[in-house]
Amino acid sequence: MVTEIVAPTEAPHEPEPPPGTRRTGMPPLLRYMLVRIALIIPTVWILVTVVFLLMRVIGDPISAALGGKLSPEVIEQRKAEAGLDRPLPQQYGEYLLGLLRGDLGTTLTDHRPITEILLVNGAATIELSFWALLVAFAVGIPLGRVAARHRDKVPDVVLRLLAILFYAAPVFFVGLLLKLAFSPFGWPVAGRASTGTELTLSDVRPKTNIMIIDAILWGDPAYIIDVLQHALLPAIALGLLTGGVFLRLVRINLIQTLRTDYVTAARARGVPERRVLSKHAFRNALVPVVTVMGMQIAMLMGGALLTETTFEWQGLGYTLGQYLLKRDFIAVQGIVTAFALIVAVASLVIDFVVALVDPRVRF
Amino acid sequence: MVRKFGWALMAGGLAASLALSACGAGRPGDSTSSGGPAGTGAGSAPLIVGTTDKVVSIDPAGSYDNGSLNVQTQVYSYLLNFPAGSVTPQPDAAEKCEFTQPTEYTCTMKSGLKFANGHALTASDVAFSFNRIVKINDPNGPASLLGNMKSVTAKDDTTVVFTLNDPNDQTFPQVLVTSAGPIVDEEVYPADKVMTDDEVVSSKGTSGPYTITKYTKNQLAEFTKNPDYQGTYGAAKTDTVTMKYYTDANNLKLDIQNKNIDVAYRSLTPTDVESLKGVDGITVHTGPGGESRYIVFNLKTMPGKDDAQKLAIRQAMASSIDRDALATQVYKGTMTPEWSAIPDGQLGATTPFKDLYGEKPDKAKAAKYLSDAGVSTPVSIDLWYNPDHYGSSSAEEYGEVKRQLEASGLFKVNLQSAEWTTYNAERVKDTYPIYQLGWFPDFPDSDNYLTPFFMPDNFVHNHYADDAMTALLNKQRTDGDKASREKTLGEIQQKVAEQVPILPLLTGAQVAIAKNDVKGVTETLDPSFKFRFTSLSR
Repeated sequence: MVTEIVAPTEAPHEPEPPPGTRRTGMPPLLRYMLVRIALIIPTVWILVTVVFLLMRVIGDPISAALGGKLSPEVIEQRKAEAGLDRPLPQQYGEYLLGLLRGDLGTTLTDHRPITEILLVNGAATIELSFWALLVAFAVGIPLGRVAARHRDKVPDVVLRLLAILFYAAPVFFVGLLLKLAFSPFGWPVAGRASTGTELTLSDVRPKTNIMIIDAILWGDPAYIIDVLQHALLPAIALGLLTGGVFLRLVRINLIQTLRTDYVTAARARGVPERRVLSKHAFRNALVPVVTVMGMQIAMLMGGALLTETTFEWQGLGYTLGQYLLKRDFIAVQGIVTAFALIVAVASLVIDFVVALVDPRVRF
Repeated sequence: MVRKFGWALMAGGLAASLALSACGAGRPGDSTSSGGPAGTGAGSAPLIVGTTDKVVSIDPAGSYDNGSLNVQTQVYSYLLNFPAGSVTPQPDAAEKCEFTQPTEYTCTMKSGLKFANGHALTASDVAFSFNRIVKINDPNGPASLLGNMKSVTAKDDTTVVFTLNDPNDQTFPQVLVTSAGPIVDEEVYPADKVMTDDEVVSSKGTSGPYTITKYTKNQLAEFTKNPDYQGTYGAAKTDTVTMKYYTDANNLKLDIQNKNIDVAYRSLTPTDVESLKGVDGITVHTGPGGESRYIVFNLKTMPGKDDAQKLAIRQAMASSIDRDALATQVYKGTMTPEWSAIPDGQLGATTPFKDLYGEKPDKAKAAKYLSDAGVSTPVSIDLWYNPDHYGSSSAEEYGEVKRQLEASGLFKVNLQSAEWTTYNAERVKDTYPIYQLGWFPDFPDSDNYLTPFFMPDNFVHNHYADDAMTALLNKQRTDGDKASREKTLGEIQQKVAEQVPILPLLTGAQVAIAKNDVKGVTETLDPSFKFRFTSLSR
């Protein structure tokens, strides 16, 4: 009988601060988080300022949306009512104050408060991105691990090709194929839930507009299953895109980690290959994946536009497209600002997670 | 090992339950299941209607579009409305309406009317409803329809008096049935601004056959029967109807094909409609349509050295078009040939384009028009169309028009397109010499196909003005005698065909696809162009 010698896991552990680094009384993780939070304020400020200026470069939103429908005199009157005849710095100040109050205005073309759009349609996009991320993890991480383990053999080659296919195939094309494949079997291919489910869940209080949470709050498993069924195809269509990126990332990181000294040491101590892979190399190989995840969230939000249109998933991407077509730049400004904020906050959260799993980041 | 097996078992169980319940019957939202409290009987089983139309605003002051009108048709009462199958306005909230003076149109209200919120509906609410539309004058609103209304006042609780600019306007009763006509509750609707949809729904300041009980804008709207409604449509046959809004016509098609919804109304592509005709368990219903498609000639910038040559080119084009091929090959029968400025089915409609230029292309006749006027051939024309406003088949339609014109050997067509916002702005600036346009009537009256097109400073902006035509148009609009009016309408149509300021091509049919057990669909696809949920039942 061979007694297995377990090598200590190499990371994460708290490294000593570099020589010369000044120690403060504050724990490094807390200090790191406070610095990141402080940095997010100028980041968001720059983002909203750029959005504001871009929208003004295009022209005034009233003329863009209503030009041709109203006389020039009425257009001027509407601009005055909306404060668009005031000096740009004043408009900018009012815009920032509105943002702080959570007031992004009302759309010009269909009289809808933008905060309502963000709450209803924004929740749909967040839910879709969540499901897609789950699919990306489920596909990318295990398959990346298999590819690394069988490096340069048939499974690796096949999986690498598959990864390229995943992120090269247009989202709407994958969506269309899935719809055509599943529709004949009665699988739901449109909407976030069946009509009856949507009607019932509209009575949930408090209503989150995130279908799965509303279904759980309602408590009927039939509704939860219905929501999951509707989420499956859009999540696959959008998730495979990111799944392909994760697959290649996990593969390459795992291959590099397997070459490190501490893995060689583990092997020398007689640790079985499967254990070396799962206990020692794999967890460290995941750290870059978490880092890249922040960027992938922005990518998912962009891809959501096409997925949302294909699957009747009325999220922010689809709504943004509709308002762009109508040249409703008040709506566009609000939605783009929300996109920017979501991506900024998601990046912040990812930074925290990376700092938690990889102590090197904190120092 | 045991832990791994447990996870695998859980995942497998979840996948199996998802798959089984997906393929099985009775999903919560399936139109065959109730998805909530059951209906009160076989005749009142809930219905789901799907559409790709969008709602701009439920508030009548803020919208003038098909999607909004469809909701308004279900939830608001009007002074007058169209009963099923008729285009003659009948009393709805009014007891009677009549001209009491040439410029005075007086309506007497029914007594005891009330809004869904319990407030009394009086003549004051009616006057308020019309006045606020004019006052708000929203760019997306219907204020332009009330151009002939000088003022409106409530004489007492039951009498409303409209003062008109032009006397004896025979189209004014029709205007009361349009997007400008819904009656709102003055106690809850602001006089100077458009309400948001959520405010409209929660205020319940409506009095039509249905009230909205659940609403997510452009996603889902649940309509529940209003037991107090006493108007033209009669009591609703179905207690609850849900409107589901689609972003993509392909998804609407899949859902009606899989019978996940009961009715699909506006707008499937001709190809989709054609393919659904063969699906078991569903029926494609068609009804007379008022939507018109035509080619506009800019009389200033179109080819031709003088007016005579320009007219000859227009007449030669009229002799070279095969409308039947456009209707059957491009639109698969969802459109029909249009032979006059007034579509078939409307009061006084005739077929002068067929009579003058023939039913099929006539190359010899076309060539003679051109040679008589000294036009050298082939005539080069820039033909513009829009690919995103009149449906995805426009490109195919104008490809076919180009093919037909060039097949005559008399024309060389340079086909060009622009997206709608640019197109609509540029067409009124004389940018396009010959171009596509479509028309959906404001109300089902023949005048609505004439006055907006052929009066001086018309909406087409093609520089057409003819004193004799103006006199004829004014005559028919104020003529209370039906036979005499029909005669004038005939003269106008003949004149249009001779002058060809526009070339009518096609009339769109109304199309709805429904499950076989849904009744009343054909009844509501009538010339009033209002899709009434009250007619539908299972």
